[in-house]
Amino acid sequence: MASVVVRQGAVAGGVLALGLLLAGGALTIPSAAGYAGVGPNFLPWVVAIGLLLCGSFLAWEAFSGGFRQMDDLDGAEHGHWPGFVWVSAGILANAALITTIGFILSCALCFTLAVRGFKSAEGRLDLSVRAWVTDALIGMAIAAPVFWMFTQALAISLPGLTNTGWL
Amino acid sequence: MDVWNNLLQGFITAGTPINLLWALVGCTIGTAVGVLPGIGPATAVAMLLPITLKVEPTASMIFFAGIYYGAMYGGSTTSILLNTPGEAGSMVTALEGNKMAKHGRAGAALATAAIGSFVAGTIATLGVTFLAPLIATHAVKLGPPEYFLLMVLAFCTVSAVLGQSTLRGLTSLGVGLAMGLVGIDQITAQVRYTGGVPELMDGLEVVLVAVGLFAVAEALYAVLYQGRVVETQNTMSKVHMTASEWRRSWPAWLRATFIGFPFGTIPAGGSEIPTFLSYATEKKLSPHKKEFGTTGAIEGVAGPEAANNAAITATLIPLLTLGIPTSNTTAILLGAFQNYGINPGPQLFDSNGALVWALIASLYIGNVMLLILNLPLVGLWVKLLKIPKPPLYAGILIFATVGVYGMRQSAFDLVLLYAIGLLGVVMRRYSFPTAPVVVGMILGPLAEAQMRNALSIGEGRWDVFLQRPGALFLLVVIVAVLVLPRVLAALKRRREAAA
Repeated sequence: MASVVVRQGAVAGGVLALGLLLAGGALTIPSAAGYAGVGPNFLPWVVAIGLLLCGSFLAWEAFSGGFRQMDDLDGAEHGHWPGFVWVSAGILANAALITTIGFILSCALCFTLAVRGFKSAEGRLDLSVRAWVTDALIGMAIAAPVFWMFTQALAISLPGLTNTGWL
Repeated sequence: MDVWNNLLQGFITAGTPINLLWALVGCTIGTAVGVLPGIGPATAVAMLLPITLKVEPTASMIFFAGIYYGAMYGGSTTSILLNTPGEAGSMVTALEGNKMAKHGRAGAALATAAIGSFVAGTIATLGVTFLAPLIATHAVKLGPPEYFLLMVLAFCTVSAVLGQSTLRGLTSLGVGLAMGLVGIDQITAQVRYTGGVPELMDGLEVVLVAVGLFAVAEALYAVLYQGRVVETQNTMSKVHMTASEWRRSWPAWLRATFIGFPFGTIPAGGSEIPTFLSYATEKKLSPHKKEFGTTGAIEGVAGPEAANNAAITATLIPLLTLGIPTSNTTAILLGAFQNYGINPGPQLFDSNGALVWALIASLYIGNVMLLILNLPLVGLWVKLLKIPKPPLYAGILIFATVGVYGMRQSAFDLVLLYAIGLLGVVMRRYSFPTAPVVVGMILGPLAEAQMRNALSIGEGRWDVFLQRPGALFLLVVIVAVLVLPRVLAALKRRREAAA
């Protein structure tokens, strides 16, 4: 079970790192108190110290038998990383391309990649051309009405491939 | 009393065709969100927050409120028909509801859940109608010290009370508070934690964090760890209750309403407590005890469902009268109010009275709409359950994108969204609760402002919190809430060890 200790220790380390980050930032905030009694750096210090304390306790728990009162493991023991990569690729590609190819196409791409990921997690990865095309069409069928509702009905600007506001 | 006049005005506003349409769309989306796994009312409201940029406040609050309690109605459908419950508040319904469904009485369970939700929701809305203005008039007497301590109480209950590890709850709260610190300090205009990135001057966007932690994290977690989970669905039966089932249900509904309502009003996070209490009460009082856990006792569905709805409706009281959210969704609703520059609190009834009463009136209307949506039309929702997971979760990602991008038109936000989604996966895997993050992030800046106002009233001395009777009372309550459960648990352990 050493890997559990390592992983929980890493989580505790993350909390400590966040606390250190906050403390570092708090050092740069002036403490001008004025009438308010405490300055703008008071809460940052409180939260930073709080997180450092929590991180220390978590590290202690991790190295002395694991986190206490954990929930029962929800789902599989080990992660299905190929599926994760597909979904991540979808989300990040969307972020990279949304302003270039527009909302509808970018979200359809995200949808298609994400569906690959979920089907892969179910063990049914389908890389046929027909599956790509079907999912891309479904993705567009979902993204297009959402796009039109937001841009036409609510006049909230979303990026489009063209300037017509319809694609 | 003014209440009747105000309520009547509210009905006139809420009854306009456009507001009725918003209520209907909200209730429909809410029911769908409650039925579907992977997405909850907090996520749905967060994703739709961009409409606050264009739609006027009354309509959008009616819409969001419809989603909020529509999800409670919809969640019971999933709990009864599928073996995995939808919302936290529907967990208890699943206990008896599943048993009833397995024995061919799914329809009766659905009926008692829907009607019970309607009864409890309507009675609870009556409670809100009469109590909220009363509390508001008294809440005006609260000053910054009392507000600050109320918010600290809310922090404590949402992170430290619900049985699980306090340490992890406090860590989540710390993360949320840290997120709330990013941006410009309200009082001194000092820039904090932006790292020179101009987009962060306005702070971290609430939608971003909420959608990332709930929707994106849910999707990433599902693909990582839940690919092989197969959910079996119970068969439907006619949605109808026999006379004896009616006789057994209605006392349960009434009892549950009176259990659920108080829990919603106090800053005690979560709807699990009232539903479990109601279940235990029904089990104790029922002459049909043998049915519990075997063939499924109808009181075990009627009670918890009603308690759930009463509690959810009652959470609007602290939100509207004090500006204190007691759950994820109310925290996001507070964010929605803030987008309009409206600050819920005792002044809300004076400054935005029309909006508040229209909102309350729409609660009555929404309950009726939901009864119709969930009883005769329940077959529609059951069909939703058949949507396969891959397109469902992928579709959720599309809605997540529009919610986040629609707020600030920043592709960088989408990358942040992914990062927060990863954080959410880690938190879920290691049992860190996520509610404290959202509550901490939204309430943190407000609490800080109240604290500093309190200190300036006390001229920089901390004993201002001890000198005022209201503040002192709240301090005692906070200490009690933190200390008592541990003391009781320790005493119980000692008694068990001695026995």
